[in-house]
Amino acid sequence: MTPLLEVRDLRISFPRDGTTPLVPVDDVSFEVHRGELVALVGESGCGKSLTGLAIPRLLPDNASLGSSTRITMDGTELVTLSESAMRPWRGRRIAMVFQDPMASLNPVMRVGAQIGEAITAHQSVPAPEVRRRAIALLAEVGIADPAERVDAYPHQLSGGMRQRVMIAMALAGEPSLLIADEPTTALDVTVQAQILELLDRLRRERGLAVLLITHDLGIVAGRADRVLVMYGGRIVEAAETTPLFAAPAHPYTRGLFASIPRLTGDGGRLVPIAGTVPPPDQWPEGCRFHPRCPVAIAQCAAERPPLAPVGDHHLAACWVAAGRTP
Amino acid sequence: MTTPLVEVQDLVKHYPGGGGFFSAARPPVQAVDGISFAIASGETLGLVGESGSGKSTVGRAVLRLEPPTSGTVRFEGADLSRLGAAELRAMRQRMQIVFQDPFGSLNPRRTIGDSIAEGMIIHRLVPPAAMAGRVADLLAEVGLDRSYADRYPHEFSGGQRQRIGIARALAVEPRFIVCDEPVSALDVSVQAQVINLLLDLRERRGLAYLFIAHDLAVVRQVAHRVAVMYLGTIVEIGPSRTVIGAPRHPYTQALVSAVPDPDPAMGRQRIVLEGEPPSPSAPPPGCPFAPRCFHPRRDARCATERPALRLLGDREVACHYADSA
Amino acid sequence: MKSAAAGLGLLAALLLLALLGPLVAMDPNLQPALGDGTLAAPSIAHWLGTDQWSRDVFARLAHGARASLLVAVVAVSVAALLGVIIGLAAGVAGPWMAGVLRRVIDVGLALPRVVVLLVLLAALGTLPLPLFAVVLGVTGWPSLARLVRGEALRLRHAPFVAAARALGASPVRVAFREILPGALPPLLVAAAFGTADAMLLEAGLSFLGLGIRPPSPSWGGMLLEARDYLGTAPWLLLAPGIALVLATATATLLGDALRRSLTPDQR
Repeated sequence: MTPLLEVRDLRISFPRDGTTPLVPVDDVSFEVHRGELVALVGESGCGKSLTGLAIPRLLPDNASLGSSTRITMDGTELVTLSESAMRPWRGRRIAMVFQDPMASLNPVMRVGAQIGEAITAHQSVPAPEVRRRAIALLAEVGIADPAERVDAYPHQLSGGMRQRVMIAMALAGEPSLLIADEPTTALDVTVQAQILELLDRLRRERGLAVLLITHDLGIVAGRADRVLVMYGGRIVEAAETTPLFAAPAHPYTRGLFASIPRLTGDGGRLVPIAGTVPPPDQWPEGCRFHPRCPVAIAQCAAERPPLAPVGDHHLAACWVAAGRTP
Repeated sequence: MTTPLVEVQDLVKHYPGGGGFFSAARPPVQAVDGISFAIASGETLGLVGESGSGKSTVGRAVLRLEPPTSGTVRFEGADLSRLGAAELRAMRQRMQIVFQDPFGSLNPRRTIGDSIAEGMIIHRLVPPAAMAGRVADLLAEVGLDRSYADRYPHEFSGGQRQRIGIARALAVEPRFIVCDEPVSALDVSVQAQVINLLLDLRERRGLAYLFIAHDLAVVRQVAHRVAVMYLGTIVEIGPSRTVIGAPRHPYTQALVSAVPDPDPAMGRQRIVLEGEPPSPSAPPPGCPFAPRCFHPRRDARCATERPALRLLGDREVACHYADSA
Repeated sequence: MKSAAAGLGLLAALLLLALLGPLVAMDPNLQPALGDGTLAAPSIAHWLGTDQWSRDVFARLAHGARASLLVAVVAVSVAALLGVIIGLAAGVAGPWMAGVLRRVIDVGLALPRVVVLLVLLAALGTLPLPLFAVVLGVTGWPSLARLVRGEALRLRHAPFVAAARALGASPVRVAFREILPGALPPLLVAAAFGTADAMLLEAGLSFLGLGIRPPSPSWGGMLLEARDYLGTAPWLLLAPGIALVLATATATLLGDALRRSLTPDQR
């Protein structure tokens, strides 16, 4: 079955005065199928947010994509579309939800009106119908008393409710792909669980595909179908969730698992990954993780490892993990 | 039995609601509504809760950075409210705080060496000639290069700034440190480094910590005992392994269940709470958790009668029906 | 930065005029040639011509520059000192004191500066130059105080301030070592702009006859005296007028450059 979204050779660069351009995302390729939840996991500086923004082409004006970059959705190539041709896609076919709802919602506009804007952006709908749909969307995202809440201002709602409103706005255009960039990071743990549950339910009920961008491996477990781990602007491991958690192959992924505190187990000392994440203008040659890697070999500094199979539907970009040298 | 290092009894902190001139006066925010606990020398007590639980307020009140509305805080046996301003300031040498925000907790206009030396200067602990050496020692102790003393905060990463904040707190040789969400704002791989640093320092210096966090897994890693807060009160308090491993209070159970744990094979029963946490300015009468409680024996008594903390096995639970399934 | 370069260039020229000018120029009060030597157009002997009493205009401009700069600097310094003390206290004090000071600042802001100056100067009569500058400065504190108070209120909640208190710093130490340094950049910028204000005020007051009194040269006084000769001896107006414009521009350009270099990349 053809994937809903196909990203090939995504490369994002920013020009800099007097020196080589900054390339925070470098050769990222992946697919998302209908109804699938794919998690894009990584720490700050790995390029995951930029990857998410690239799909609906919401990158800053000075960003350029690589010449071989292809972003194909439902058979249409998005990279070559003009801005006016791209606009109908945003909100309608591809929707985004961001981390901080308070920053994304207009504080002086009632939430019903904001949802209404999302509805009317793509279709002309008479006003009473807009209100009816807004209330229906609020109910769908699990807000109690939607008929009253529709007239509330953002500051009158809690963080969890605001995020639900954001999701309602995202759904207003009936998208087939929802990109959620750290949607629960700013929320309490119990609220986070509610929002993730909501995303899961929407996925089942609407057949929505979700690209979940996060730094939290924990929220991915048990919810994502597939996981992509990013480091240094590249995907370093890609697998279905269960095999990834059962046997992570890439040393970075393994390092992440070893450094995360758990609720179970004997609680021995955490083993942090040595060193710190280098900024994009200081990425090393070869494998970008090699200076921090406990099992690096000479090969790793010299040549960049490609994503290679290390198991069933399990890829890792590591010379050592793939057990081979070129 | 030796006196505990820190003893808090019936701590209450209300903030005025504001308003009142052009708009209706808002009710006071009951951030902390009667908390009691004790921390022994060298012990770490974790304080866990979500927004609105009041945990950060407890941290500040324990150090008397804000005066409590009522209740007592004793440090080394002395009632802090009875100390004069100068005595309190002298006491501050032995109880310190590390903040959550690595970007706001250091004065951007001072070198980090100056910031670290601040406490030693105030309490006259080190002669000026020896100051630079002391600062360098502290930097090394938290894992930073000794030569960094002349740099400014913006030259460092979040994790490094947290280490600087820890060095600053250690400079005055405290016995007790309030860690207010010290790793929440850090990346995952940096979190582990800072957590390990705090553990190392604890071993080496015999420090006691009040470790405030919203992340149960982090607390489990660090704390001997944990107190779970909801809406200004403690709902469960006991050894961290068992409270987290086998929680008895319904809220603790929901909290544990909600914590994202990277182990899909665990197959935990996910408890998803209904509704929103109520506002601390309008706490429900009776048990604060009653409106959202899913315990099969929840009844009218829960809505009217506030449960007290009572001993249940190896921990205390504030629930009328915690002893039944 | 272009405005910084331009501002510094003008400042250099101004300082040159004020410091060295009087050394090379002749006595500004000398009236050597009453009769034919009056209202002479600019020439080699008199670079900017002479006025109606045959006084050398360049000399008067140079001495006037000294007066204007002195007044501006002293006035702004006095205003800044008062502004910092009152504003900082208003920002960090306990509720009662802070409330009182806040209202003091409000009243200060409400009184129109020019009217207050007119009243004070009329009451105090002729003042020696430094004292005049002080009086000018004393009326300028409210806006600076408001600014410092605003910064202090913002900074007192910063975590690093709480950290200093947790370390045992006394409130005074916190105010001067933690809060004041943070409030300084906007204060410096406001002070730079305030210099321009002070110069214009002095010129205006001197024009009205309340500032620097004749025969002491001042740019405002020169403007006053040039009134009757606009058509016949335009250099009498142009010299002090252009000088005033350039001096104000200097202060504004430097203030702008300061603002851009001190603010938000650091915030």
